[in-house]
Amino acid sequence: MYDNYYEPEEISVKPGETVRFVVENKGNLVHEFNVGTPDMHEAHQEEMMMMVEHGVIQGGKLNHDMMNMDMGNGHSMKHDDPNSVLLEPGQSKEVVWKFSDKGNIEFACNVPGHYQAGMYGEVNFE
Amino acid sequence: MSCIRSIVAVSFLASIGVSTAVTAQEMISDTTARKQPLTTWGVQFEEFEYRYSDDDEELGVWNADAFYGTDDFKVRLLTTGEYEIEEQAYETLENQLVGQIPISKFFDAKAGVRFDTPEGPDRTYAVLGVAGLAPQWFEIDANLYVSKDGDTSAELDAEYELLFTNYWILAATLDASVAFSEDEEIGVGKGLVSTETGLRLSYDLIDRAFSPYVGVVHERKYGDSADLAEADGGGTEDWFAVIGARIAF
Amino acid sequence: MKPRFLTGLLSLLMPAMVLAGEYDLTVDRVKIDTGDFVKEGIGYNGASPGPVMRFKEGENVRINVTNNLDEMTSIHWHGLILPFNQDGVPGISFPGIKPGETFTYEFPIQQAGTYWFHSHSGFQEPDGAYGAIVIEPEKREPFRYDREYVVQLTDKHPHSGDRIMRNLKMIPDYYNREQQTVGEFFSDASKNGLMNTIRDRMAWGDMRMMKADVEDLQGFTGLINGKGPEQNWTGLFEPGERIRLRFINSSAMTYFDIRITGLDMTVVQADGNNVQPVNVDEFRIGVAESYDVIVHPKDEQAYTIFAESMGRSGYARATLAPEEGMEAAVPQLRDPARLTMADMSGMPGMDHGNMAGMDHGDMDMNSSEGMSGMDHSNMEGMDHGSMAMGKGGQSDPFYAKGSGLVPTAANGGKFLSYADLKAQDPLYEDREPTREIELRLTGNMERYTWSINGVKYEDADPIRLKYGERVRFKFVNETMMTHPMHLHGMWSILDVGADQWNPIKHTVSVQPGTTVYMETEVDEPGQWAFHCHLSYHAAAGMFRKVIVEGGPESTQAKTDVIAKDGGEV
Repeated sequence: MYDNYYEPEEISVKPGETVRFVVENKGNLVHEFNVGTPDMHEAHQEEMMMMVEHGVIQGGKLNHDMMNMDMGNGHSMKHDDPNSVLLEPGQSKEVVWKFSDKGNIEFACNVPGHYQAGMYGEVNFE
Repeated sequence: MSCIRSIVAVSFLASIGVSTAVTAQEMISDTTARKQPLTTWGVQFEEFEYRYSDDDEELGVWNADAFYGTDDFKVRLLTTGEYEIEEQAYETLENQLVGQIPISKFFDAKAGVRFDTPEGPDRTYAVLGVAGLAPQWFEIDANLYVSKDGDTSAELDAEYELLFTNYWILAATLDASVAFSEDEEIGVGKGLVSTETGLRLSYDLIDRAFSPYVGVVHERKYGDSADLAEADGGGTEDWFAVIGARIAF
Repeated sequence: MKPRFLTGLLSLLMPAMVLAGEYDLTVDRVKIDTGDFVKEGIGYNGASPGPVMRFKEGENVRINVTNNLDEMTSIHWHGLILPFNQDGVPGISFPGIKPGETFTYEFPIQQAGTYWFHSHSGFQEPDGAYGAIVIEPEKREPFRYDREYVVQLTDKHPHSGDRIMRNLKMIPDYYNREQQTVGEFFSDASKNGLMNTIRDRMAWGDMRMMKADVEDLQGFTGLINGKGPEQNWTGLFEPGERIRLRFINSSAMTYFDIRITGLDMTVVQADGNNVQPVNVDEFRIGVAESYDVIVHPKDEQAYTIFAESMGRSGYARATLAPEEGMEAAVPQLRDPARLTMADMSGMPGMDHGNMAGMDHGDMDMNSSEGMSGMDHSNMEGMDHGSMAMGKGGQSDPFYAKGSGLVPTAANGGKFLSYADLKAQDPLYEDREPTREIELRLTGNMERYTWSINGVKYEDADPIRLKYGERVRFKFVNETMMTHPMHLHGMWSILDVGADQWNPIKHTVSVQPGTTVYMETEVDEPGQWAFHCHLSYHAAAGMFRKVIVEGGPESTQAKTDVIAKDGGEV
């Protein structure tokens, strides 16, 4: 991941294939790698917006204390869903994802503005 | 002394001129118009109108000024005239040439001369005045005049504009003059001499350059001046209907 | 996707070549047709606006400018970092270009992004002498788009620049047709009460200031890429494409609030520099600023680009459409903006607690009285009508608290603030400034005089900076107007409170009644212009020459001479 794009911006998978992504943030800003449909990304962008508003994401840093804070209703801003990772600059993590069916799937960064600026990639099914 | 200094300066420039020929372009000092005081000019006719009085008197009237100069000093020519159409004679004809400098944020001081050359005796005055914008948007022009013979008088002009819309404007004006000594020859008695009040409704037809208007004007003479006018067989009070245009260019 | 492929191909070939581009521009008398009126003006290569100049980062450009006018001219490359003698300001960078003469500018392109160029002579720029600059970066952009358009705005006025300046000097409200009327008095009275309204009018009348003093110059037709609202400039797209719109405000005097009904915009550049992307519904573009936004229209329909002037006296309009000739609804102008007492709070000697008893002698703008001791607490009751303008607690730290100019998005959504602008990849290390210079933005509307620290350019000494220092400029706006301050030759690091992420700009808007800080790494020797970019404010004296003393080792000797002799005589 770079500021604000992926390399590569396109991958090919077979239906049913399990892929291990090694995601490395080589940029100066916090970025996300999130596998999902455009609708899922859009919904997630609202959560991410909240994280920025609450100071969880601060440009190139994550506020980890804030992430663990209880937001009520059992919610927190931990950002620990299996389909995504949120990385500070220099960090590297893995995402293992099984692509079951064909569908409109993208990998995307939902840090506010990043997706809209073009930080997403296409998953093509062979 | 100053002459010697300037020669020194020139020779200094000449001496460094050789060594810095390469960077001559970089050494420029700003001699463009931007670095000079901005000189500007304007001409405005506050009034340019035809007046018809309640006793069938017809007048052509103007009240105009033109200026040329900078923020710090302007030369201003002010001219006012009332021309009696039937008699083909100037009832009043005043021309002032003044210099004008700012004295506060909203006011300027003026000094100069005024020549009155109507039908009848002429007068020349020295003028000292202030003009500007008073609180609540009153345009004020106050002047003190001293004639060659030492007669002193003062005049106050005030104007207020009421915006019915941004194009339909009602202007209320008041001119009052006071004499501190009598000048019988031109019908001026000591004390309050006369007032002229006007209401003009204008429409800005072309920008603020041409604004036709209609209105009413009331002129009145007071005290000794009124007596002098009556003794001369004239009236002391007049109502006029006016039609004209405010012009700026 | 296609343009990027091409770029990739080019970049493969590039290392082998030394990039050098030669360009020709002629400065010509041209006819300008806005749809509302036709006038004589000045343009480049036979048209106004001039061509879009496309450069590449790393390229050495030679630009031959031929003056076909019968007067001096010049071209300033707005926002470009270059040697000062190529900056194109007569009397500061060079003497200017004489009639009939060809001047060759030559400088390396050391940056990328959206910029513009314009004449710096007289009022040639408002008369039409401007064009856009697009610089392609060496590396890939930190965002993606399939198509791009320059969207260059201006406020074309039927009068010539000289005429406008003279009219403003003669009658300062010559062009203001949004003044408060009798009708507004009664509508305010029914809204806020008669006594409150009278008190409000008296307070403003006492200051001899107008709430309606938002736009000095009205009566213009807003143009986009030289086209008036009726001529409707149209940018084509295919649904699903991402479009980069390069907005440039080349107006003489007008700020625009820009929205595209039905489309979110993602701001990716400000003044040519990448910023961390911000999604907005609407943004305000100051005079001389540029903003690049990405839009992503998915539907087979037309979208209106609507640029409303800040004072709502006029607008520019263009269309994004899948096909030529398609158009969408054009919104109505919103109500004219009204200043509030908060916007006046920068005026020296203004004790708002005691307006009526104010000593007018103290109101002289040249007085050195500061802003301290200003009491806004008593203001509240004074200005109910205009207070309502800041609807729903809208606030922006770059406007005075309770300002009547605080922008709101027409759809109730997100309006871009300077506070949202953060550098994508900071150009400079963050460090403590070496010193602070206070610049009070001063003026007198009734005389139409504009100045800095109460001194007009004609009477001012240059501002002297030292090469290598980092200067913190403190702008204190003591006037009731917004001033877009433009420092030539060096970046303005706008303090938005984001430390190392503070964005770099070339033009910084300072709203009335506010104090704005910017820092400058003094990294370019020579002498530079520094001024309000409102044409008639700059001409009236809100302008300075900046001299950078010293320089990098190699040019030390040369710049010493400049420092000694380059100043005003």
